[in-house]
Amino acid sequence: MNVSYRWLRDLVPGLDLDAEGVAEHLALRGAPVEEMSSPGALLGDVVVGHVLTAGKHPNADRLSLCTVDAGDGVKSVVCGAPNVKAGSWYPFAPVGAVLPGGVAIKKAKIRGEVSEGMLCSPREIGLGSDHSGILEIFGDFTPGESFVGAMGLDDVTMDVEITANRGDLLSHLGIARELASDRHGEARLPEIPGDPGIELTWKQGAPEVEAGGVRIRIDDPDLCSRFVGVVIRGVEIGPSPAWLQEQLRGAGARPINNVVDATNYLMLELGHPMHAYDLGRLAGPAIVVRRPRPGESTFTTLDEVERKITPEMLMICDGERPVGVGGVMGGLDSEVDHRTTDVLLECALFDPKSIRSTRRALGMSTDASYRFERGVDPEDIRDAVQRAVGVILATAGGRVDGPALDVCPHLFEARVVGLRLARIQQVLGVPFTAARVRELLSPLGFTFEGDGEGDLLIRVPGYRSWDVTREIDLIEEIARTHGYDAFPAELGPYRPGTVPDDPMFQLEDDLRRALVARGLFEAQTPAFVPEGEGDVRVSNPLNTQEPYMRRVVLPSLLRRVERNFSRGTKDVRLFEIATSFRRVGSGEAPAEESHLAVALTGARDAPHWSAPEQALDVWDVKGLLEDVASLAYRGSATVVPATGEPGLYEAGVTFVVRDGAGVEVGRGGRVRDGLVDAPVWAGSVWGIELKMPDEVTPVASPLYKPVPQYPAVERDLALLVPDAVPAETVLETVRRRTVELLEEATIFDVYQGEGLPLATRSVAIRLRFRAPERTLKDKEVDRVVQGVLAHLKEELGVEARG
Amino acid sequence: MRGLIAYAFFVYHRIAMSETHPIDALKALEAEAMAAVAAAEDEHALEDVRIRFLGRKDGRISAILRSLPTLSPDERPAVGQEANRVKQVVSAALDERGTALAAPKAAAGEDLTLPGRHPWKGGLHPITQAVDEIWEIFRDLGFTRARGPEADTEWYNFVALNTPLDHPAADEQDTLYLVDSVLLRSHTSPVQMRTMEKHEPPIRIIAPGWVYRRDTYDATHTPAFLQIEGLVVDEGITFIDFKATLAEFARRYWGPDTQVRFRPSFFPFTEPSAEVDVKRFIRHPDGSTEETDWLEIMGAGMVDPAVLDNAGYDSERYTGFAFGMGPGRIAKLKHHVDDLRTFFDNDVRFLRQFSK
Repeated sequence: MNVSYRWLRDLVPGLDLDAEGVAEHLALRGAPVEEMSSPGALLGDVVVGHVLTAGKHPNADRLSLCTVDAGDGVKSVVCGAPNVKAGSWYPFAPVGAVLPGGVAIKKAKIRGEVSEGMLCSPREIGLGSDHSGILEIFGDFTPGESFVGAMGLDDVTMDVEITANRGDLLSHLGIARELASDRHGEARLPEIPGDPGIELTWKQGAPEVEAGGVRIRIDDPDLCSRFVGVVIRGVEIGPSPAWLQEQLRGAGARPINNVVDATNYLMLELGHPMHAYDLGRLAGPAIVVRRPRPGESTFTTLDEVERKITPEMLMICDGERPVGVGGVMGGLDSEVDHRTTDVLLECALFDPKSIRSTRRALGMSTDASYRFERGVDPEDIRDAVQRAVGVILATAGGRVDGPALDVCPHLFEARVVGLRLARIQQVLGVPFTAARVRELLSPLGFTFEGDGEGDLLIRVPGYRSWDVTREIDLIEEIARTHGYDAFPAELGPYRPGTVPDDPMFQLEDDLRRALVARGLFEAQTPAFVPEGEGDVRVSNPLNTQEPYMRRVVLPSLLRRVERNFSRGTKDVRLFEIATSFRRVGSGEAPAEESHLAVALTGARDAPHWSAPEQALDVWDVKGLLEDVASLAYRGSATVVPATGEPGLYEAGVTFVVRDGAGVEVGRGGRVRDGLVDAPVWAGSVWGIELKMPDEVTPVASPLYKPVPQYPAVERDLALLVPDAVPAETVLETVRRRTVELLEEATIFDVYQGEGLPLATRSVAIRLRFRAPERTLKDKEVDRVVQGVLAHLKEELGVEARG
Repeated sequence: MRGLIAYAFFVYHRIAMSETHPIDALKALEAEAMAAVAAAEDEHALEDVRIRFLGRKDGRISAILRSLPTLSPDERPAVGQEANRVKQVVSAALDERGTALAAPKAAAGEDLTLPGRHPWKGGLHPITQAVDEIWEIFRDLGFTRARGPEADTEWYNFVALNTPLDHPAADEQDTLYLVDSVLLRSHTSPVQMRTMEKHEPPIRIIAPGWVYRRDTYDATHTPAFLQIEGLVVDEGITFIDFKATLAEFARRYWGPDTQVRFRPSFFPFTEPSAEVDVKRFIRHPDGSTEETDWLEIMGAGMVDPAVLDNAGYDSERYTGFAFGMGPGRIAKLKHHVDDLRTFFDNDVRFLRQFSK
């Protein structure tokens, strides 16, 4: 909310803080100031100038040559504005002045004539966008006086952030009360200049009150618990006096006309949204507060928008039709304008929830609905109306006709809340006496039943009736007014919690560290994706390009690879662990899984002068896939070549990861051509996507095995393997036929090409044999090798190379 | 007389020689051979050294091995063992030197100012690093980690947390919905309720995770971001514990000279509620110091009794505190990143700056 510093000072005469001080103070009371601005802050050099003469420039058709009284002498000024005229007053920037935006005014010769300053347009002094002419000002001025002072621009507007529970702070009085309570002053309402001081008489009733032929009726007391109306006749609609305009501008509001400004003034001062109807345009004349009737389905609000209305909404109607959306916005047809002479002033109490659903359904939020949603003071309604009438009479004239009509189906009753002193200490950790509680809460308007030393019964003032309803709410008020900083902050002992650390975090951390150690960078990408990458749709997306939650994570990384390519980066190695969303059924929450995605492209190793660069290849990606799958699935996962639909990957260069139960849990390989928008210099892009296990299996502690004491014997086999026989099958056969003595079998070379029979390749395998209890003899090993070779030939058609 | 002296010298020399034990002689020979190996500048010179010491015919070490039978049976085993050892050592040194001399010439007399070889360097995302640093501090303060779903229900995200859907507080986090009452959680606070449902007090957890808001991307907002929730519930937890724990965290994270400020605020699920601000005191390497403005780092408060009631806890017996912070915002402040979108761009030139 925009708060005028000068207004606060008027409300708290004892306020000894400057605007900065107020901001600091409010921050520590829970209402921080987001921004402070002063329209006059940059206009200190500008003065009020009186144009004495204005004649044509002798050498230029479009320029005038003027004499300006600027207080310290008469200046000669060349002016380009069409609206300059002798005898008028304008903002004047003398030589040496610096204007907003940094323009410095210098003495200059323009087309041969000396100019000793500048008459300013609104745009030049930052007061608007108008640059069609200079800003003529009206009033009683002295030449050379400060422009800021003369125009009342020395106020400071503070943008105060009000939390959703504190509707009472949506007014200058509310803020003033908060300041005053701590400065031991008191907030009081200043006198309205020109207020004739008429005391209203009242006529109260329900559901209908009538006087002088004007009738007000509440048909729906659940949504409107009170409606006060006052008839004022003979008003003269026109601009507000300067004090009222200044006051409104200081609070960031735009002056409109005296009656509307009066209602806005009261809203900004007391927090009561009010509305003035043109009485002559109300059928009846009557006000009926009711739901729309069948057939009443549209309504044109003040902002000239025709809106759809529904039976749940509360309308303010005249004798025939709706004239306003209750608590949200008035209607165009009954608006006060320059022809208006008689007005009906409204001040009412609406149900916050109904206001909220109505204004949401209408897709709008107004100053009024914002306040009603958060709750306005139900206690001071009559005072507010009395004051509003004073402002209208002072600024628009007229007279009050008859008693004020107070339709009141539910009279507000103040709440009394119990407060146990022991509970305060249980929550806050510090004892508070009853006397101290009184001292803290009384200045905020809380009153106490009885004056005992023990537990307390506390009456909540109307303006706090919305947020203080329970004991804990009072305890918060005590902590807040005592000052959070006044509480000690000694770290005490604590009991350990019962919640075990979720092992998935540790597994994710382990994977992250393993991948970082292999030279990958962790990426973070938001989960929103375009159509085709997910089946869970956001129903109210703001970004319609990416309305889905991702099912797979890799495409998000591939887009980041593209972005890196577009910036000329060739080597990109990214990974991310993120949530994948999957639709399970209509109306149900989606299933969520944690996925690891990896995208790689470029050189295998960091460049070094000692060796030529090698691009990443399929074996890098297979190895990485095996390592992460093994880490995630504790060694139970297998990586095998993919068959069938390769998806995001290129057929023939894709692997599938299966968990211990044989279920596919991941894929990896070369990303399909065309999926990534790559420049010509870019290398192949490799990708991996691995689902994390549903349950994290604890890692079994390794059990010690004695390290071998006896030497090993190695044999190298050079095999001619038909292309149809996979290397894995060869290795598997070797292992099966050498079980007892074989320690390890490693493929150390594969050769394809010249000198080999058709459709065969040469695979070299190194076998290492060892016996745990003795030294192996060559002959014994040779026998085993011969046996293996025989089986390879027999089972697979694999022969030793000659 | 002169002849006598010459004779005496001869006798003396003989005695001195004979008193040099063969093992000592072998050690001297080893040292001599190793020096010769090291001094060999090319493969020819190295071959000469081999012949001189290990040559079958005239090699000096070979000679000693050949003379073993002439020694007394007492001496023989020890001398034999030592001679074999020296032979092996020298032989290995010859091989090694030979390999070195045979290596490409680039290695010899090389320019050692050339860059060394490094593997690719990777790194954790700076926001993950912030999460990890925060987690490590809370781990030391006795916390564990909990998690909950990112797509959750209105009950967990709002209602159970004392935020009626028809209250304006439900607006402040403009929420993305999936279907009906299923939404993308707008904060990590639903994990509070989910954790309390499954576990009895004492509760002492943090819950890092993604949250979603109906925002557009700009310098200070992204529609998805990481948040870290914290919850402590037990008997006897007070506002003092709340302040102390979070102030301790802030000083450990931002430095011991950090000032911490608690400002009243409003969250429907905590009461009293607070914003926590820090003012950092930075010592620059050049000795100068700097005090920052107050930086808002988290929202927090004492758990509202209504939340404990909704979790089935006895709110008259248990009290607690909760907090939430954005590691993205903290990383932004810490590394002076002026636009949150930079974090999601994942330009490797950016990520590399946070490599450790």
